Amino acid sequence: MNEDPYTVLGVKREATQDEIRSAYRQLAKKLHPDLNPGDKQAEEKFKEVSAAYDLLGDPEKRTRFDQGEIDASGAERPRERYYRDFHGAGAEEHPYSSSSGFADFIDDEDILADILGRGGGRTRLRIRGQDAHYRLPVEFMEAVNGTTKRITMPDGATLDVAIPAGSRDKQILRLKGKGGPGIGGGPSGDALVEMEVRPHKFFTRKDDDIHIELPVTLPEAVLGAKLDVPTPSGSVRMTVPKGANTGTMLRLKGKGVARSDGSRGDEYVTLKIVLPEQPDPEIEEFARRWQVGQSQNPRQHLEV
Amino acid sequence: MISVQEFLARTRLERRSLEAWIAAGWLIPPQTEPELTFSDVDLARAQLIRDLREDFGVNDEGVSVILHLLDQMHGLRRSMQELLNELRAGR
Repeated sequence: MNEDPYTVLGVKREATQDEIRSAYRQLAKKLHPDLNPGDKQAEEKFKEVSAAYDLLGDPEKRTRFDQGEIDASGAERPRERYYRDFHGAGAEEHPYSSSSGFADFIDDEDILADILGRGGGRTRLRIRGQDAHYRLPVEFMEAVNGTTKRITMPDGATLDVAIPAGSRDKQILRLKGKGGPGIGGGPSGDALVEMEVRPHKFFTRKDDDIHIELPVTLPEAVLGAKLDVPTPSGSVRMTVPKGANTGTMLRLKGKGVARSDGSRGDEYVTLKIVLPEQPDPEIEEFARRWQVGQSQNPRQHLEV
Repeated sequence: MISVQEFLARTRLERRSLEAWIAAGWLIPPQTEPELTFSDVDLARAQLIRDLREDFGVNDEGVSVILHLLDQMHGLRRSMQELLNELRAGR
C-alpha cells in the first residue's frame, strides 16, 4: 500500500489522534468485511483504511512515519480469516449458524420447507420441475369432436394428448407430471399444451355454436325446399321455409359443439340466395315485368 | 484446535475478557473439558468482536445485537447460495 495514509483516512496532516480515530471509525463501520460479506471492493478499501490507521492511530509510529523513518507500506497488517469466511455454502456447521433469519418462511405445507429445511445438518433441496410449454395445432373438426394427438418432446419422447370434444382455440391442457424433472426427488413439472385451432373451410364457431352460410337458389328460397346441410356430426336434412331470403337464419338445435355437461350447442344456418352464374333471358324478362320488384327499395335504411 | 494460551495471544485478549465474552454467549468454545479449546471460527469471531468494540466504539449491548443479526444474515446468505447452486446443478 503506497497511498498516503492521511489521504486514505481523509484527514489533514496536523489532525489530532482523536480526529484520526474518529475518521477511521467512520470508514471502518462502512467497510468492515464482516459487515459487508458480499462486497469485494469494500474489503480492499477496508484493508487500505486499516493499514493507514495502523500507522497513524499509533502516535509513535505516526511520528516515525512523519519523519520519514518508515514508509506507508511498512505498516500493513496481514489479517487472518474474517468471520464471514466461515459461512459460505458447504461450510461446516458451527454453534453460531443461525436459521432464524428465515425460520418464518418454513411451513410444513410450503415448498420452502423442502428447499430450506435442514435435516441432520445437510440441506436437502427438493424442487418441483419446470413446466414445459407446447403449442399444438389442432384441426377445427378435431377440436369440435375430440381426438388424440401425439406430440414429440425436445428429448425425443412422444406424448399422447387427449383433445377433449369441444376444445377451443388458445385453450391450455395441463398434463400433470409431463414437464421437466424435479430436483432432489421433487415432483416433475407439468406440460402445458396450448391448442391452436385451425379455421374450417365453411364452418365457423362462436362459443358452442356452429355457424354456416348456406347458398340457396332463387326457386328454393321463393318456394321453400328440403335441403341437406352439413353439421359437425354429419349432414342433416333441413326445411327451408317458403319465402326465405338472404340473411334468413335457421337453427338446427343440438347440432353444435359438445359441452362438458353432455349437452350440445346449436348450428345456425344463414341463407344466401345465389342467382345462376350465366345471365338468363327468362329471369331478365320476368324482372322487367315485375311491378312489385320495381317499386321495392331495400336501401331505405342507408339514407340515400 | 486452538489452546487458550494461543487463543489469547492471537486475539490479544485478556483472560478476564475472554471469560466475560463466553459468559455473554458471544463465544461458544467447542470444548470446555478438560481444557478450554477453540476453533478457527471462534478466533475469527473474537477478532470481529474486538474490531467492533475497540475500533468501532460499539458497546456490549451493541455487540450482542450485531452478532445476532450477522449470524442471521450469514444463514440467509448460505441458504441463498445453496439454493442457487442447486438450481444451477439442476439445469
